[in-house]
Amino acid sequence: MDNAEEDTQKRRLSPLFRRLLKIKVWLVDRFRLSERQITLIWAAFVGVLGACASESFREASSLLHYAATGSDSGIITSFEHLPWWQRLAVPAIGGLLAGLTLWLGNRLFSSVRQKTTTDYMEAIVVGSGNISVRASIVKSLSALFSISTGTSIGREGPLVQLSSLVASLVARMRNFPIPQRRHLVACGAAAGIASAYNAPIAASFFVAEIILGTVVVESLGPIILASVVAAFTSQFLHGAEPLYKSPGFNLHTQWEMIPLSCVGIVLGFVAPAYLRLLRLAERLFSKIEMPVPLKLALGGAIVGLLAIYNPAVCGNGQGLLRSLFHQGWFWDEILAILLLKLIATATAFGSGVVGGVFTPTLFTGAAIGMLYGQAVLYSAPWLRSDPAMYGLVGMGAFIAATTGAPLMGILMAFELTLDYALAPFLMVNCVVAYYCSSIFERRFMYGESLERKGAAFFNQQLAEMNIRDLVRINPITLPKNATFAQIAETFVQHRFQHIYITDKESRLLGAVSLHDVKTFLDRPELETVVIAADIMNEDFPRVSPRQGMSEALHKFSEANSERLPVVDDLSSQRLIGSISKTDIILHLAGDQKR
Amino acid sequence: MVREEFLVISRKSVEHLRAAIFIRDLKAESDHEAIRKMLDSLGGSPQVKDLESLSAAVFERQETEPPLFPGGIAFPHARTDSVSALVMVFATCKEAILFGTTRVRLIFLIGVPKHAGAEYLEIISFLARHVRGERAVDRLMEATDLSSFLAAFAEPNG
Repeated sequence: MDNAEEDTQKRRLSPLFRRLLKIKVWLVDRFRLSERQITLIWAAFVGVLGACASESFREASSLLHYAATGSDSGIITSFEHLPWWQRLAVPAIGGLLAGLTLWLGNRLFSSVRQKTTTDYMEAIVVGSGNISVRASIVKSLSALFSISTGTSIGREGPLVQLSSLVASLVARMRNFPIPQRRHLVACGAAAGIASAYNAPIAASFFVAEIILGTVVVESLGPIILASVVAAFTSQFLHGAEPLYKSPGFNLHTQWEMIPLSCVGIVLGFVAPAYLRLLRLAERLFSKIEMPVPLKLALGGAIVGLLAIYNPAVCGNGQGLLRSLFHQGWFWDEILAILLLKLIATATAFGSGVVGGVFTPTLFTGAAIGMLYGQAVLYSAPWLRSDPAMYGLVGMGAFIAATTGAPLMGILMAFELTLDYALAPFLMVNCVVAYYCSSIFERRFMYGESLERKGAAFFNQQLAEMNIRDLVRINPITLPKNATFAQIAETFVQHRFQHIYITDKESRLLGAVSLHDVKTFLDRPELETVVIAADIMNEDFPRVSPRQGMSEALHKFSEANSERLPVVDDLSSQRLIGSISKTDIILHLAGDQKR
Repeated sequence: MVREEFLVISRKSVEHLRAAIFIRDLKAESDHEAIRKMLDSLGGSPQVKDLESLSAAVFERQETEPPLFPGGIAFPHARTDSVSALVMVFATCKEAILFGTTRVRLIFLIGVPKHAGAEYLEIISFLARHVRGERAVDRLMEATDLSSFLAAFAEPNG
């Protein structure tokens, strides 16, 4: 054996090594992580981070609340112990600080042009999945001042914002593509809601039903995982009790099913009025011409004035809900606090306070449900109704009717109370309330905001898009004396709906449409008699790179064509290429690569 | 079968054919003169909004690519908004007229509004399909008026 042969022998793989290699390949093949599995892993991670972010906000809010009121009790208890002037001053100063934060943040960061959004819903639905860090911090800080000083607004807004921001940052660091990035932000939003309400299933369906608008297993899987992990993390950090633990309800007689099944009708018809009240407050405040800090201070002062009369109006209504379900309230007390709370929430919302109205809406539904329950109790005492049961059902029905998400309403009310006996009534009433509300209201709580943001994003994208970037050069052209045979041949060879007709100087003369000639393509008698000039449309719409994308879209609607010719200048008419609808849509969808 | 073929065109096209002007034994020294005479016959037509524009469009089209069909048939035509509806003039020429180097015996002059592209293709296709072959041309040449000219279309090609 010479040296070369020995070398070859040495290089040849041993049978054992070959077997190991085969096993390795098999293992890699079987256990290679797909994009979905990677998303799932990151969703769990986002769940933990989201819950931690929410927890940090809660802690910061408690600290600031202590600094403002000198009490570490709940908001309502703290305000009960404050003198009247402090009840007025604390929310007003909180509003002023919240407004100053927004104003300052706006001044500092408005000049920085960012390819990001401040809103998690926008980031999930229409954006690139990038949430602005600075703007999110400004918004959360502003919300922190408002919430910890007793403004009647929900803290779920900033909790979800922060949780979504964390998810967005993770996605950006991992350099995920846009669809995956949006998906992870959706996981972050669900994690925020799950940790805010300790309701992972409802949180998943909140994001799926309200924000994504679809309940598809492929997208729902990671969202559920993120919610569950976030809820577990929150439970680990501060207990596993449901927010409003049900005392356990029983129907004393089956006849009670009748009034209990009608809660949804009442709340379904009240919900549109509630939504209109919020919009009215927004409109009224928009008419007041004053700087944002003063506007928020005014909102805070109004809440403070109400708090002088009844401190229970302060806060998001979570403590009030607990009290409503576990202490026997008289109907006139419920009515009074309901009216005050409605004014306080509408004022806070209208003045532009950063936060959510989810918890105040839950309270409104519960209070109306309880009033209805009281009415049932007084009118049919033999039913021995428990108004609290009506309150819990009303809470779910009202949230379903105001958000337009019945599935989420059912799950949210069920998870908040964990009372299975209520589940069938929740199901009936949430669906009924949603349908009743839909008769009068088409714009639900989050839908309107999404609609506005979606339109704004679309318009911004359109304004920023440049026709020149999307032009495909060297389109298929024919001269004006091209025979019908040549035209037919070109249509057969290329899958285009229009062939552009140009002169020797490449000036666009018109376009021949396949639609116009398709029934004659098999007529040999036309081959020499008809030429392009005979059948072209000289007025075929065209665009120039100097025009805006909205003009191009307008021209597309005129032409009913997949492509439009692009001329260098509308006066010279020299054809430089074509632009297609598909490319515009892909560009709007965030696909920069063509 | 021939009847069926005649019926494949739309009722509107049939109406256009029936409203056409027929010139028997057109005499002209050149293609230009022949077309001019045919255009002049459209002078009183209510469908012609501007005869001069129509003439200009027809002559421009002739310059681009004279539409000729084997067997000595010419299709001078134009798509122009100077007509409000499709107009046609048919002419037979006992003495062939030179269209470039082609000796033409049958002339179909057509004016079509710009929006009537499909009608135009339908009519041209119909006419061109029915003038294929020596016998078809001979039959058309024997026509004395529009109805006998159109009747010749209903006979089998040969």
